[in-house]
Amino acid sequence: MESRKEGGQEQRQRDTGSRPIHAHRGPCYTFADMSQATHIRNFSIIAHIDHGKSTLADRVLELTHTVADRDMVEQVLDSMDIERERGITIKAQAVRVLYTAEDGQTYQLNLIDTPGHVDFTYEVSRSLQACEGVLLVVDAAQGVEAQTVANAMMAMNAGLEIIPLINKIDLPAADPERVRHEIEEGLAIPADDAVLASGKTGEGVSAALESVIRRVPPPEGDPDAPLKALIFDSYFDTYRGVVALVRIIDGTVAKGDKIRMMATNVVTDVEEVGVRRPANLPVDALEFGEVGYLITGLKDPALVKVGDTVTLARGGAIEPLPGYREVKPMVFTGLFPIDGDQYPDLRDALDRLKLNDPALIYEPESSHALGFGFRVGFLGLLHMEVIKERLEREFDLDLLATAPSVEYHVFTTAAEQIIVHSPQDMPEPGMIERVEEPYLRATVLVPPDYVGAVMELSENRRATFKDMQYLSATTVEMHYDIPLSELIMDFFDQLKSRTRGYASLDYEYIGYRASKLVKLDILLAGKAVDALSFIVHRDKAYQRGRVLTEKLRGIIPRQMFEVPIQAAIGGKILARETVRAKRKDVLAKCYGGDITRKRKLLEKQKKGKKRMKNVGNVEVPQDAFMAILKVDE
Amino acid sequence: MTVSLYVHVPFCVVKCAYCDFHSTPISPEPALADHFAWAVGEGAAHWAALGVLDDVASIYVGGGTPTTLGSATVSPVDVLHRNARLAPDAEVTVETNPDTTDPAIALQLVEVGVTRFSLGVQSFDDTVLRTLGRCHTASSAERALEDLLGTGAAVSMDLICGVPGQTRDSWRDTVRRAVSSGVGHISVYPLTVEEGTPFAESVSSEAIEPPDDDLAAEMMESAGAELVASGFRRYEVASYARDGCEGRHNAGYWTGRPYIGIGPAAASMLPAEVFGAAIECEAWSDPGVAGIGRTLEGVPPECRRVRMVNPADTITFLRKPVGPPEDVEYLTGVEAAAEDAMLGLRLTDGITDGTASDAGVADVLTELASQGLVEHVGDRWRVTSRGWLLGNEVFESVWYAGTHRGMGWHSL
Repeated sequence: MESRKEGGQEQRQRDTGSRPIHAHRGPCYTFADMSQATHIRNFSIIAHIDHGKSTLADRVLELTHTVADRDMVEQVLDSMDIERERGITIKAQAVRVLYTAEDGQTYQLNLIDTPGHVDFTYEVSRSLQACEGVLLVVDAAQGVEAQTVANAMMAMNAGLEIIPLINKIDLPAADPERVRHEIEEGLAIPADDAVLASGKTGEGVSAALESVIRRVPPPEGDPDAPLKALIFDSYFDTYRGVVALVRIIDGTVAKGDKIRMMATNVVTDVEEVGVRRPANLPVDALEFGEVGYLITGLKDPALVKVGDTVTLARGGAIEPLPGYREVKPMVFTGLFPIDGDQYPDLRDALDRLKLNDPALIYEPESSHALGFGFRVGFLGLLHMEVIKERLEREFDLDLLATAPSVEYHVFTTAAEQIIVHSPQDMPEPGMIERVEEPYLRATVLVPPDYVGAVMELSENRRATFKDMQYLSATTVEMHYDIPLSELIMDFFDQLKSRTRGYASLDYEYIGYRASKLVKLDILLAGKAVDALSFIVHRDKAYQRGRVLTEKLRGIIPRQMFEVPIQAAIGGKILARETVRAKRKDVLAKCYGGDITRKRKLLEKQKKGKKRMKNVGNVEVPQDAFMAILKVDE
Repeated sequence: MTVSLYVHVPFCVVKCAYCDFHSTPISPEPALADHFAWAVGEGAAHWAALGVLDDVASIYVGGGTPTTLGSATVSPVDVLHRNARLAPDAEVTVETNPDTTDPAIALQLVEVGVTRFSLGVQSFDDTVLRTLGRCHTASSAERALEDLLGTGAAVSMDLICGVPGQTRDSWRDTVRRAVSSGVGHISVYPLTVEEGTPFAESVSSEAIEPPDDDLAAEMMESAGAELVASGFRRYEVASYARDGCEGRHNAGYWTGRPYIGIGPAAASMLPAEVFGAAIECEAWSDPGVAGIGRTLEGVPPECRRVRMVNPADTITFLRKPVGPPEDVEYLTGVEAAAEDAMLGLRLTDGITDGTASDAGVADVLTELASQGLVEHVGDRWRVTSRGWLLGNEVFESVWYAGTHRGMGWHSL
């Protein structure tokens, strides 16, 4: 490393008056020693959610003195508030640590933390492309679960070295032998020398790093070939624009290079390259095998796509790295400000979030019932929840979300194909030749006792059973093809509750299939409420209509007049319930003239009403719009 | 300035399951009762010194159950008489309940100027009384009624409907026995589940059914019909009276008359300038007893009316009867007008066009009239019988419209 850069960094920290919290301590390494490919190990930690991946990552940072103990915030790599609160990783992160191994040599380890949720499978797959090996973390008590299998498969398909690590061995319920057996039987991964570790106590963490050095191969690549760098993540920095996290596959990239993004075909200059420790530390160049960041000055995140290949503008590579695809949103919902005046604020907030989350897409939508808002596309339900929460929390918006929908392909009798993201856009039944909907291949891992419960739920949800196999005496793996629209309807919660929390679920998209789908309208006081209509399989329409009208009767408070609630297809009424008119609403005795107190109660009541949406003349609480999701069957 | 005077006695024998008023279930020892009477006198003297008690239209001693003070109930009334200048026809009410009504004490109270008793009967059905957590029975209520009527003072009683388990028959019987008891004034309240009460807990733990709003509405209407047929007139949302027996103290609350509250958690309402003078007094700024004094800042210039609530802690009141309030609300002229309109609508006479337009609520009243909640008769706005049952809709809308003028009712 060049000293001027190091000085520059320190200077900046002094200027801003902030503590250099991420500056490494101890001896002043020069990266050059360890930049030889033989001393580089690029690896990921993969795991089922809650198996302790992020805590292990924290211990790695501590052990390698990458972050001073006193600056250690739990799960440093999960830096977003919501990530920390929910204990999930949403964005991939990459950090370089230096580790002096038992052989006395110092290695450059690039730890690429991956999102742990199935919504972000594509990001995981790109992160894995940047590695040569993985630590496959399995909870010593929970054992192998659905995302353990899915992640292990992904790592195998990517040809990575897989080091099993049995975590949380400090737990009283830990049973490493059983888990070792499950890994061998269920995943066909030898687990004789699985690392036994505890992220909590730190036990086994250095053994894990030794394993990584011994077993994960150093990166291969051609230093003299044209630059090929894989973008496996990006984020937006207010001052610097888009920052791409890259793995250099071939060649070298340095400050001042003119580069080209091969998928978007954008040419730009490299303003800065560096490594993350975890704060950005500029370096002169990144060479093949290395992981780091790249700042180009591009301000539009849509031009810097995860999975794209970076090469030099002149004399660049001909073929991009394989595997790039556009990330497509799978789940759509209408987001409406409760206070119509907040519409511009919502638009600005979405624009801001999109800078860091190119997978987020949205377009204006207007609803008779809810006014102006946006139809927003997400990678999955978790992605949706996180975005809605961030909009409300970080931008102080009061939002109403309609029930999520999927992308339907509607083929009309006029031989046209229409893409439908919102039930409102569904053509009249007479104009529809057929409708196709997205299907998933779902993998459920469950103890044998609960196979029946899973079968029952799946049948209810139009899922087609494919096969099942015993991973061990205690775990059965079942496969289903299931419509995404069914999966987003409370499926996971139902699965969990019917299996006492034992089942785990993973899924992958498998394509579109034709289904007999119809739009079910909900009418309040005789008027169809567009935001309450949804698309449902014809055979289930009657039952859903009945359940939903009943549910709405419980949710919609009594009003000054009687409110009929009806479910209908086209003009045909399938179900009807009535919310009777409110007869009495008086406060009790007002004592000793404490009118202020009584008036405040009235004001509180009024405020409660303001949080409801006025649809026609009917005050509808927010829960009503989500009721569609929770149809207990 | 004509004012009303309220004294809060924060003791009761047993706390009723539904009650969220400020009171402690103890029967005070004579020494404590005497001390309480002394504290009331200190409070009254303080306001008298400010010249606020020169024209007192009514006194109401409520609680809690004032008569838990036993024979000491007499002294606070007496002390008020000595500190305040009462109008010749002043109404002086003492609240009581059947178990603490002692005929001898009742007579003494009348001798020191009490003109009216308000008896918490609630029901003449022992099962209903048990559900409410009342400790008296129907027969003790009847005995107390006789005792009180025997003093020659006016008597009012409270009844509660919509109690879980209360049948239509039980309610009809209660109303008839109330009418035939000979009282001139009856208040009818629906049971409300107040947060934090044992009753609310029982409802949320599903130990008892929540009150049925429809049944409560029906009971309020049937009681109204029965009372009117028996010669009572409904003059306020919850109150029925024979001619001349209307409660004048409560009427003061609905007509914007200032009032002074003495005792823990008691509320007062004063014109801004009177409150401004009170702030200046030493007792409000002197820390006195450690930790309970504080200095109030001046009255905001736009303030026209002040409502304040005394600290709820009884010990604080007993140690230092005169001190600054715990909560103060400064109402602007606009808010005061909106409040007058809102409260005026609790009376069957309603409010005049002038009051409505001063408060800026004529539009919302027109809107409420279209929903059948109010009606315009002559030059007055009055709440309809449907409106009585949906009083919150009316009061809330009027208050909101009156305090959000110029925003357009329909956009609210």
